[in-house]
Formats: sequence, structure tokens, C-alpha cells
Amino acid sequence: MINTKRTILTSVGGLALTVALVGCSAGGAPVEVDLGSGPAVAGTVKAGALDGVTLTLASWGGLFQEGQVTAASEPFAKESGATMLEDGPTEYAKVKAQVDSKQVTWDIVDSDIIWADMQCGDDGLLMDLDTTIVDTSNIPDGLVGDCYVPAMQYGYVIMYNEDAYPSAPTGWADFFDTEKFPGKRAIAGFEDIGPGVYEGALLAEGVAPEELYPLDMDRVYAKLDGLRDNLIYWKTGAESQQMIESGDADMALVWSGRGFGAVENGANYAPIWDQSLVVADALGVPKNAKNPDAAFAYINYYLGAKQQATLSEITSYSPVHRDAKPNLSELGQEFLITNPDISEQMVPTDASWWSENYDAELNRWLDWIQG
Amino acid sequence: MTETALIGGARQPKAPRASSGRAWLLLLPAYALLLGVFVYPVLESVWRSVSDPTLGLDNYVWALSNENNVGVILRTFGNGLLATAICLALAYPYAYLMTIVGARARVALVVIALIPFWTSLMIRTFAWIVLLQDNGVVNTLLGAIGVGPLELLRTNTGVIIGLSQVLMPFMVLPLYAVMSGIDLRLVTAARSLGARPSVAFLKVFVPLSMPGVIAGSLLVFIQALGFYVTPALLGSPADSMLAQSIYAQVSGLLQWGRGGALGVILLVVTVLLLAVIGLIARVSGRRGINVKVL
Repeated sequence: MINTKRTILTSVGGLALTVALVGCSAGGAPVEVDLGSGPAVAGTVKAGALDGVTLTLASWGGLFQEGQVTAASEPFAKESGATMLEDGPTEYAKVKAQVDSKQVTWDIVDSDIIWADMQCGDDGLLMDLDTTIVDTSNIPDGLVGDCYVPAMQYGYVIMYNEDAYPSAPTGWADFFDTEKFPGKRAIAGFEDIGPGVYEGALLAEGVAPEELYPLDMDRVYAKLDGLRDNLIYWKTGAESQQMIESGDADMALVWSGRGFGAVENGANYAPIWDQSLVVADALGVPKNAKNPDAAFAYINYYLGAKQQATLSEITSYSPVHRDAKPNLSELGQEFLITNPDISEQMVPTDASWWSENYDAELNRWLDWIQG
Repeated sequence: MTETALIGGARQPKAPRASSGRAWLLLLPAYALLLGVFVYPVLESVWRSVSDPTLGLDNYVWALSNENNVGVILRTFGNGLLATAICLALAYPYAYLMTIVGARARVALVVIALIPFWTSLMIRTFAWIVLLQDNGVVNTLLGAIGVGPLELLRTNTGVIIGLSQVLMPFMVLPLYAVMSGIDLRLVTAARSLGARPSVAFLKVFVPLSMPGVIAGSLLVFIQALGFYVTPALLGSPADSMLAQSIYAQVSGLLQWGRGGALGVILLVVTVLLLAVIGLIARVSGRRGINVKVL
């Protein structure tokens, strides 16, 4: 990541003015907050504890951020007295610029979980979680890091065309078996890398889920080489859904929300939940935030069962509280990865392995994909 | 630029000297803009290509020793040439038709040529996705006549189809501009002197239309080299062109130096090709073919 620094330094120059301007409006000394006593309980905040505090949530916009506002920000503002502002989309260079200049205007940042994991510790951009304020006890395993909680979770799942395959494929081995299941496979192919077909390649080889990491990437690419001629690549979630709805992909590895969207629109495709992957977005507090206690209080509130249920109902992503019971359509329930029938079949992924190997693996992937 | 300025000055021959001197100031905004948004970024890219992350030619070594990059560069120029050839083959007869039909038909032909020009590039490219996909219109029609289905979307064929259609107006318009200035009586004269129609066309009309051919080809070719959206949407990452590779380096990997090196290579090769074309044009100009474009 040597080059990141240079890029970001340039952005700092460009941002200086913005930061200065925003800094004035958001200025003022940190407000002392009294969040009450006793252990934190997710989904609650002491009434009126944050009168006079202003917090800004930076997220990805669109339906997802609308869901966050309705499910968490609005009720949180009402109960705590805080003023909640929205910004976005999340840009990592901006987070870096704010932290470096000690002018942090994004108090809570929604980010990719791999990026978040790279930001934990002394050199990172995110603060360690204050677990006296944030109750993480109901979050599913493997999704909490030192400096972040999951913002939502979803499945990375194979969808297959039920018309194309009268005898249904059942897992990763079939995804890679082009003799038994001929046809095109759609996978992600853009300038980013993370859990996905790589874990799938090893699972197809029979590697046990708990022995996946560290990933044996030579073995992964040997497996992928055999599938190359059958692969087509999507660059956005919308495109992946389009490939299913148009029937271009006989099997597609997609985000569960997109699989849901395609089936809801009438595509005769079905998910293979067996050994599908759990992935998540992250929520963290940048270092040098003006009022970290208040920001963590927001995160604690965000993680409540009711808030998470509402978020799922609006966004079709799955909740990160074990007891969240979103009121969804029958089809929606079939794509809810917290549904026990589904969750017990899924395989967790390791964001820290990906964050440690991100640059090298992204280079290798882009070389392979163009080769 | 300089020529434009001189022409601008020449249009007011009676104005006092001082005023025509000040008229040069009119160029300042354009030059300032060019300096700020073209010259500076280009120099910055060149500088980064030899300095990021360390001083030296590492980025160029990477760019030219990596098999994929060489493939991408060759594919980029190959696609550019192919798209240019297709545009020329389709646009030449079309532009010729525009010059020989009546006024009303000509308006219709101009409008048809311009409609894509007025339509957003994104819309046209997305339309091609709908047309070219496996169960799309093209494959359905091909299926009806017993051909296919062909793999079109997410292939290099799809990219070339898209590029050719998107860039077509840039071929039609210069061709028409030149052809409409050709005195058709010259062709008639050739025929009256005994030339067969095809000979009269090839020996008289075609050489006179060469400036349009060269201008249109250059416009199409150079634009095709730098195209991003169309290949990104119609092609697959496995068939990527240079602009996509540059994007991947800069935006995905934050390797500004490598992106810069690829950009500089594109620029240098393009300039070299232009120089060669200019040379050919000049030589053929001496042989009596009137080529004033370069």
C-alpha cells in the first residue's frame, strides 16, 4: 500500500478547503456525554444522553443508507437527543484525510469489511471498539473485529438455472464440474478482491471449511484455470442480477440480495446454500473523531434486534443480531441468511486474511483475468 | 491553433494593429483551460510513470514485460484498426449516397447519421447489451434463420460492433464534408472521355475523397484507442482494452505510476502512427493526390 500514501497526500491538498469549511460548521468542544451505568445493551441508549451532540454517518447512499436512517438514525436521534447527519458515499481517501488532519466530520463510517480490518491497530484509521459502550454479544461469530462491527451481512451464493439443469447442482464441486453441468458461470470480475470463488475452488476440492485459511492460492488458480472458458464476469451487483434474469449465466455466484431480486423478478433460478459464504459490511469510528463515546453509542443502538429487523425489511440484507426477526415475504425469508436452515450450511470467511494479502492477491487476480 | 488565430485576425483587415494584438487575449481562456486540464495532467502522468513508487523505468519494464499488457496493447490497436475499417466500409457508400440524392433525401440521410450522435453514449452501449445478449434480439433473429446462437456480448466481437456503431458519425461527417465539395462533373467528364463508370469513380472520385477518408479514419481510430465505457460494458475483463487496464491500475490498485506508464505508451504509439500516416499522406500528396488534412 505504499502508493496509497501518495494518492492520499494529493487528496489531502484538495480536501483541505472542504475540511476547513466543514470543520467550522461542525466545530465546538467535545461534549461530555453520560451514557448511564451498567453493561451496554444493544439497541438501547439513555434517553436524552446526547442532547447537543451532532453525529454524521457516512455510508453508501441509495436504498441501503435509507434503511440505516429509518432503522437506526431517526429513532436514535429521537431517543438520545443527538442530531444525526448523513453523508456519502464512503471514500477511503477522505477518511484518511480527515484522520490525518484531525478534522473528522464522519463520526461513523460504513465500509467494506476487508478495508475496515486493514484499519485496526496503531497504523490504521479506525478506533478500537469500546466494548463498555458497544454490546457485541448477539452478533454472529466471526463478524466483529477489533475496530469494527458488521453493518449487515449477506450470503455469497451460487444461483443456478432450474430450466437448464433438470438434476440440480448441489455445491461447489458441481459449480466447477463443466462436464456434468455444462454452461456459463458468472462471477465477479472488477478491480477489487475478497472472499468468493477462491474459497469455492478449495471447497470444491474437498478442503474442510475450518481449514480454508490461509488460502492455498496456487491450488485455487489451478482449479480456476479449468473453469476459465466457462466464465463470464459481472462488474456490479445490478449486472449480476441482469445476467440471471436474461438467462445468460447458467450458474452465477452473486450477493444473496441480488439472487433474491432476480427470483422476485421471475427468474427461474434457485440458490445453493450448502457451503455458501458469509460476507459483511463494517461499521467503525475514525480515529480523532470528536465524540467517540457518542459514535459508539450510535453503533450500539444500530446493533439492536429491532433496528436490525427493520434494516432487513427495507434493504433485503440480513441482520447482524441473532434475535432479529424481520417481517419478510416468504421469498424474502428464503434468502435471509440468519434463517437457521440456511445459516448452519454457510461457511464463514476471514476478512483478516484478505486484508493482509489484499494487494498481492488483487494483482494476481487482475493478471489472471486478463490472461 | 495558430492558424485559427491568424484566420481570426485576417477577418478584420481594417482594424488597427493594437486591437488585433489584443485580440490574441481571446485565446487566453482556451489556453488556460488546455494548460490546466490537459497539459498539466499529461505531464503529471508522465512524471508519475517514472517516479511512482521509485524513480526509474520500473513501470515501463513492468508494462512491456508483462505478457498480458502486451496483449492488451496489441488488442487495443487491433480493435481500433478493425473498427476504423468497418466504419469506412459502411460510411463511404453512405456518404456517397448523401452527395448524389436530392435535397430532401439528403436531409433524411443526415438526420439518420446524426441521431446516434445526439444519443447518449451510455444509452447506445446499453442498447447493444440488450441486442447482443445470449437471448437478445440479434441471437433470436439469427436463430430464426438457423444460425447461432452466437456468443456476442462479453466478447471482442461485441466490443468491435459497439465501437463501430458508436464511432460511425465521426466517419460519415468528414466523408460527406469532403465528398459534397467534389465537382461531380469531373466524373462525367471522365466518362465522356471514354472511362467506364467504375473506372471514372475509382480514378477520379475516390482520390478526390481521400482527405475525407483520412480525416474520418483518424478521428475514429484515435477515439477507439482511448475508449473505456463501450469495451467495459460489451467486453469481458479477459478482452480488456488499454483504458480498462489503466483504470484497473489507478482505481483498483492505486498504482498511479503503472497507469501513467500505460497511458504514456498509448500516447507515444499513437503519435508515432500519426507521424507515419502523415508521411504517407505527404508522399502521396507529391504524387498528385491532394491531401491537406495533415
